[in-house]
Amino acid sequence: MPRSNSHQHISSMSDLGARFKILRYLVLLLLAIIVVRLFFIQIVEHDAWVARADKEHTLLETITAKRGEIYMMDHGQPVPIVLNQTTYQVIIDPSVTEKDAIKAALEKYSSEYITVDLNELYSQEGLRYAIVAKNVPHQIASQIAAEGIPAVWFSKNNQRVYPEGELASGLLGFVNDDGLGQYGVEGSLNQTLAGKDGLLKTTADVNKVALSIGKDNVKIPAEDGKNVVLSVDRGLERGVEEIAMKHIENTPATNAAALVMNANTGEVVAMASLPNYDPSNYGHVKDASAYTNQVTEVPYEPASVCKSFAFSAAINEGVMSADTTYFNQGYEIVDDWKINNAEQRSSLYGIINMKTALYWSLNTGSIYALKLLGGNPSAINQQGREKLYDYYYNKFRLGQASGIELIEAEGFIPDPNEGWGRDSVYANMTFGQNLGITMIQTATAYSAVVNGGYWRTPTIVKGYYQDGEIAQINSTTSASDTTGEAPTTEGHQADIAGEAAVGFVANDRIEDKILSDETSAMMRDMFVYNREYKARAGIDRPGYDIGGKSGTAQVIKNGAYDDTMSETVGTYIGYIAPKGGMPQYVIMVKMWAEGAYLDGLIASNLFDDVENYVIDYYRIKPGV
Amino acid sequence: MTTNRKHKSDLIILFSTLGLMGLGLVIIYAIGPMRANVLNSTYGQNYDSNYFFLGQLRSVALSLVAFFLAFKVIPYSWLQRYAKLFMIISIALSGLLWVLALSGSSLAKCELGECRWFNLGPVSFQPAELLKLALVFYLATFLNQKKAEGVLGDPREFWLPLAIVCGASLFLVVVAQGDLGTGVALISIIFGMLLVSGLSIKQYLIMVGLVLVVAVGAVATSTHRMERVNAWIATLTQSESSDSTYHIENAMLAIGTGGLFGVGIGNSVQATGYLPESINDSVFAIMGETFGFIGLFIVIGIFGVLLRRILKVAEMTQANDQRLLIVGVFAWTLAQVVVNIMAMTGLVPVTGITLPLLSYGGTSMIFIAFAIGVVLQLSCYTNREVIKNEDISSGRRLRGAHYPSSRRSSRNSK
Repeated sequence: MPRSNSHQHISSMSDLGARFKILRYLVLLLLAIIVVRLFFIQIVEHDAWVARADKEHTLLETITAKRGEIYMMDHGQPVPIVLNQTTYQVIIDPSVTEKDAIKAALEKYSSEYITVDLNELYSQEGLRYAIVAKNVPHQIASQIAAEGIPAVWFSKNNQRVYPEGELASGLLGFVNDDGLGQYGVEGSLNQTLAGKDGLLKTTADVNKVALSIGKDNVKIPAEDGKNVVLSVDRGLERGVEEIAMKHIENTPATNAAALVMNANTGEVVAMASLPNYDPSNYGHVKDASAYTNQVTEVPYEPASVCKSFAFSAAINEGVMSADTTYFNQGYEIVDDWKINNAEQRSSLYGIINMKTALYWSLNTGSIYALKLLGGNPSAINQQGREKLYDYYYNKFRLGQASGIELIEAEGFIPDPNEGWGRDSVYANMTFGQNLGITMIQTATAYSAVVNGGYWRTPTIVKGYYQDGEIAQINSTTSASDTTGEAPTTEGHQADIAGEAAVGFVANDRIEDKILSDETSAMMRDMFVYNREYKARAGIDRPGYDIGGKSGTAQVIKNGAYDDTMSETVGTYIGYIAPKGGMPQYVIMVKMWAEGAYLDGLIASNLFDDVENYVIDYYRIKPGV
Repeated sequence: MTTNRKHKSDLIILFSTLGLMGLGLVIIYAIGPMRANVLNSTYGQNYDSNYFFLGQLRSVALSLVAFFLAFKVIPYSWLQRYAKLFMIISIALSGLLWVLALSGSSLAKCELGECRWFNLGPVSFQPAELLKLALVFYLATFLNQKKAEGVLGDPREFWLPLAIVCGASLFLVVVAQGDLGTGVALISIIFGMLLVSGLSIKQYLIMVGLVLVVAVGAVATSTHRMERVNAWIATLTQSESSDSTYHIENAMLAIGTGGLFGVGIGNSVQATGYLPESINDSVFAIMGETFGFIGLFIVIGIFGVLLRRILKVAEMTQANDQRLLIVGVFAWTLAQVVVNIMAMTGLVPVTGITLPLLSYGGTSMIFIAFAIGVVLQLSCYTNREVIKNEDISSGRRLRGAHYPSSRRSSRNSK
């Protein structure tokens, strides 16, 4: 450094020292500002930042329980009827995902699943998230994934699949887009099938992927839904449905319902509500009534089928037998209302016995049974009404939910004393009008009539299928055990509790002896007698006792019974027994159509085919 | 020119530099896998979980090479001789990058519309980092020469060439590369060195005022820069969140959640994708989350010691050009540290500047390591006393160019 003026040099140097001092203090000042600021953020505001971080970092996610599958039986083995399938949504980030790459991949593998117009999607500015394909099966999703296109995600969805197509759709119901079971078994056993969702509360990264970091992470595992095994037999169900559909085609009927149940256990082996719909496209039905299970959800008037119950009551009370006679004049006037017999052939006028009355389904015969219940053969009285009510409501449990594991309507049985024209109402009730009962109630009561008098809670759930075994869930208590106390809600029946909101509450199964053996035997005789002409015609095969009863119900049009019979509902109920043996299966069919005449005879033809099919299907051995 | 006898280098600078590098490795080791995970899941890339740690390890290794080259191998005289050429090359490289970027060449690597890197296959290189180093060397010789010629402050002999070089550098960095952070560092280097160049305080302050006016004008006329300023004001006033405030908010969220002691290594949540640039520009915020107030206090303390120590070496350095150079390195480091940390704590707008020696990013670390290496080399030639004491009695200037022996032994005993 050249030496200049020494004085100047000194002053510049001390000036330099001052300037260094400025720099030193500048460092100190700036760093002090930062430290103060940090103290403020990290110490003073710490709690607020933590609270905010919790809000932004915490992922609250439902762990979806796997919905249980639905099985039917097939020759003693459970077979899947409703399965789950995992499908995928394909999600992209249009700002990262290359348009041509994803387009090519989607078109190559999954063109039918594309949900958006990619060109339009890519024309949107700043879009970071878009679902481009839905319901993509796993295999196709993994093919797309294998392309390795950046920023493509797959989100899982569970979907119900129906390997048997439309089979028993009216019985099974469906699962809606929210994952909620609707109608049928899906609806009534929704809680059991759905299981219980778990909960995941965790710190997550910016892509909402759970991290192991964090102290308050919570994981409640999901309880998967139970696989429900129905007692319905797949092959039998299919056969019954096919037969019924054929009858719908060949008659004016547009709808039919059919029920086959074990006469001695109450176990339902076929339940059809036709025509079916496609549960995988459940939104495509024309009318929501297609979803209704006609067997359990629709109370109706089964008409003369109910003579079975009026007759049983009088016989069981010891006031009547098959041979009891009365004077048939073809009609009866009750409360100034003339009740006619449908059958008016002259040979029936005069004194006939009850067996004949049932054979020809004479309303005068069942009204006479009601009179006998009252102890007065010439008039209906209070005692008769109360006895009939006791049998209908308390013993046969008509007008009450049967207890089957399905959504049920209760129906109604009119009060014996309250209201106008009780005698005529009760006269009508003896031949199945003026009341509302479901097919399952009717068939269950009919089973009691023919099986030796045992009313047993009907059931359609055999158990839960897990690890290759069916876990039993139902137990039977005899009625005396539960008399006087409300059914308990403890124990295993809690497992099967459906939705009380839809009227389904499962109770322990009840077995109640309501009729004597003699009554039941006498009724069976009459039912077989009813079908003698079918046996003679070779429709009922030799070696079997097939009994049955028809019903032709007038429907109420504009508030009154339509006497022109322009629209009627045909019903037939009966049973199969090996000759000389006890009934094994009870079969009930119902056919109807808007504005069409369908009687018990037409329904009986459907019964005939179903009955013979059941015999063949189960290889029921003939008796001797 | 007076030369002092060589003595031991400044160990405080050495160890604080190595300490910061080590700390950077630790933090990148902890959050590198998270960063890889975020990039993989968001952009479908395929980074190994060790990718960023290995990258940082490589950067640290290269930086150490540069550091010791500057410290032990490359003689200062050589740097002095080629300072001008070095500056020309640096400006030429930045100019070349600009041209390449304008012509859309793949050799220019652009991110978010700013082209700041040369794309050299597997590695990329940021010429602005080189420019900072070159400017320090160049200004040291330039200012020294002008002082020797007695033309400091002369409009034609001094201000014109200075304005051309600095203007060209700033234009290339701030306008062509859109790198406001490096621009701030350059301005800090220029004014730090001018302050100790011997320039009259009057001219100096006029120049500071002039640059402030230009800077405010440059910010106000650019929507992009105004957006950052608005975002910063929005954060300060705690008004509504938006995309622009996202970065600052998440940086402060990370720092705020750290509390007194931090959440601990590997427990950072903000590093899992919430905080942008978590491994480079925002590494300070992640350190705040991880190590808490105490940890950050220590980090700031190390930077403070390093800066004060560099300043001390400058003050004790006899040769004007060397002193200028050291102050340049000081100003550079100070600018980066302060602007980066203040941005992370919401005190200044986010400019996109790395935290020296800690941030992920090879070029920036290598060059600052080299610069500190040069300081360390020069620290071997300091006078025992700071210059102001020398000035009072110039006759004692040559006496005992050592550290007091007591001080050395006390350091050794620790």
